[in-house]
Amino acid sequence: MLSRRDFLKLAVKGAVLGNFYQLITPPLAEAVAAGEVKKLPVVMIETGTCTGDSISLDNIWTPTFSDILTNIVDWRYDWTMNQVQGDAAYRILQDTYEKLPSEYILIVQGSMIQRDDGHYNHVAYEDGRLITGIDLVRRIGLKAKYVVAIGSCATYGGPVAGYPNPTQATGVQNILPERRVINVSGCPAHPDWIMGTLLHLALYGEPELEKFGRPKLFYGETIHNRCPRRADYDQGIFATDIGQKECLFRVGCKGPVTYADCPIRRWNDRFNWPIGCNTPCIGCTEPGYPDLMSPFTVHLPDIPFPGGTKVNTDSIGLGVLGLTSVAITGHVVTSLAKGRLQKNLLRSSVKVQHRPAIKKVNTYHQYRLKKTKN
Amino acid sequence: MKHHVKLRKSVRKQLQKGNVEGTLIQSQPIWVRIFHWGFAFSLTLVILSGLQLHKPASFLALNFSKVLTIHLISCWFALGFLGIRIADALIRKDDSLIPKLQDLKHFPQLMAYYFFLRSSPPPGRKYNSGQLIIYTSWFVLFLVATLLGLASYWEGEHLIWVWRLVGGFQVIRWVKFIVSIYFLATIPVHIYLSITEDISRLQAMVTGYERKPTPNNR
Ligand code: HEM
Ligand code: SF4
Ligand code: SF4
Repeated sequence: MLSRRDFLKLAVKGAVLGNFYQLITPPLAEAVAAGEVKKLPVVMIETGTCTGDSISLDNIWTPTFSDILTNIVDWRYDWTMNQVQGDAAYRILQDTYEKLPSEYILIVQGSMIQRDDGHYNHVAYEDGRLITGIDLVRRIGLKAKYVVAIGSCATYGGPVAGYPNPTQATGVQNILPERRVINVSGCPAHPDWIMGTLLHLALYGEPELEKFGRPKLFYGETIHNRCPRRADYDQGIFATDIGQKECLFRVGCKGPVTYADCPIRRWNDRFNWPIGCNTPCIGCTEPGYPDLMSPFTVHLPDIPFPGGTKVNTDSIGLGVLGLTSVAITGHVVTSLAKGRLQKNLLRSSVKVQHRPAIKKVNTYHQYRLKKTKN
Repeated sequence: MKHHVKLRKSVRKQLQKGNVEGTLIQSQPIWVRIFHWGFAFSLTLVILSGLQLHKPASFLALNFSKVLTIHLISCWFALGFLGIRIADALIRKDDSLIPKLQDLKHFPQLMAYYFFLRSSPPPGRKYNSGQLIIYTSWFVLFLVATLLGLASYWEGEHLIWVWRLVGGFQVIRWVKFIVSIYFLATIPVHIYLSITEDISRLQAMVTGYERKPTPNNR
């Protein structure tokens, strides 16, 4: 079977060559067929989400998503992929929960809606009762072998938790403090990031996680550190408008603060990625996205004030500096008018009654015999 | 040579004729002066290069990796100077920069003075309550910005607790930007008051000596 080290290499090589699954699935399918690896039971719960991560997952090209579903994982419950509906589908989730505890993987897509005990987000109907997203995720999550949150919403709240966050949405980790949630962030998460993480879980267990619980394998480095326009940045050559070929820092590129491997992996089967088509990275994989990253075309986020207005940080800076200048100027004028300035300076400096003056009286020249050799 | 000495004696005599009262007292030891000017210079560089990192002025067309290098190096210098001052305070057992409740009690009166509601400032120790508040805030904010700076410098390899505490890179940047604005707003006030309140204190920061009591000549 593939060693873990080979797997990690393939994850990078596959990103560069664009054939991650082609490289990775044959040995995996063999291992599954030979019974070395068990097909991994997977259930997915969708909470406050746009289902964008499912669409992104469909974007696996060669081999297709269906190859993976039939050969490598045991994809059990997923609203977009279910072959049955209603009670029959829900029973599969219940069966997995009851019969395979500590074996199945729970994938959560979508944010946790907390307002009013989560009743703005119902995800199931059980014994005549509506089940909220938080309840189901907690119940299924506590018995899962691994809990994987995919997409910005499930990981850190994402757009659903954006200002002013009317539903008090948050990430899965916050409502499942007992478990370590593996965060596969992104808006949406890249199919390689999701599937790569699942495959790693199936083969070698939990991957190494970084500071915000994301697999280092994919989120170990900033966009900026691998960006093809980094040379522009280092030399201070900046685009002044979106659409230009230089580094996009001045038009709000969040590459320097965003951890993901987009520059080498790219999107849509490696076709392109934002900076490749001259638009800034919007930092979709980071906690606090989108509020901390917007407006997407400026450097720092606007500051919300009570009443719903938002003010640009640069204006706040300039405003504060302006106020200081006005205050100091006002103080100078008042001090002069009241005579305080004059008084202070006179009081604290030394006044000499007879200012000593020196004048040159005479010049002396000294003469000396020159030493001559013989 | 003889003439020289004579000349200087006569100058001194003339000086004594002037009614200069008080004696010169050392108020700012050499390490304090080294700290003050060194820190002021390096912090200025830190802030200017930080602002350039924040929003590159394209007319300057600076080499950006050099701007970051300047930012980092001047910050190490600023930290070094701060270290000197702390060591100096410990060795001399100098508590003049540590705000005490007694000092802060005078703060309303001091404000009254600054807003022209009083004609003279309240009595104080070496530094008045306003100065103590500003210096302490600088000390704290400088350390905060340094911690955040180190966190971003190591890009999440070290100081992971700082990342979790603040919640990400954008917040780190944002806090540092606000800290810089605070410095930029308070430093001019500091300079303004030090040139207009008591010029002999400024002289002391250069020569080390201050005339005590203040000449008070009107
Ligand atoms: C008083 C101390 C400091 C101040 C006032 C300061 C100020 C700033 C400012 C205003 C920025 C631009 C932030 C932005 O993007 O808007 C910045 C960026 C930066 N600073 Fe500092 N800084 C300080 C100390 C440090 C230290 C000690 C380090 C590292 C050892 C450091 C490393 C950095 C780095 C790496 C950046 C670039 C971050 C980025 O990618 O935007 N700073 N600093
Ligand atoms: S385009 Fe963005 S990620 Fe690339 S070098 Fe410029 S700032 Fe960094
Ligand atoms: S380039 Fe930036 S915004 Fe785009 S997917 Fe990657 S991390 Fe997200």
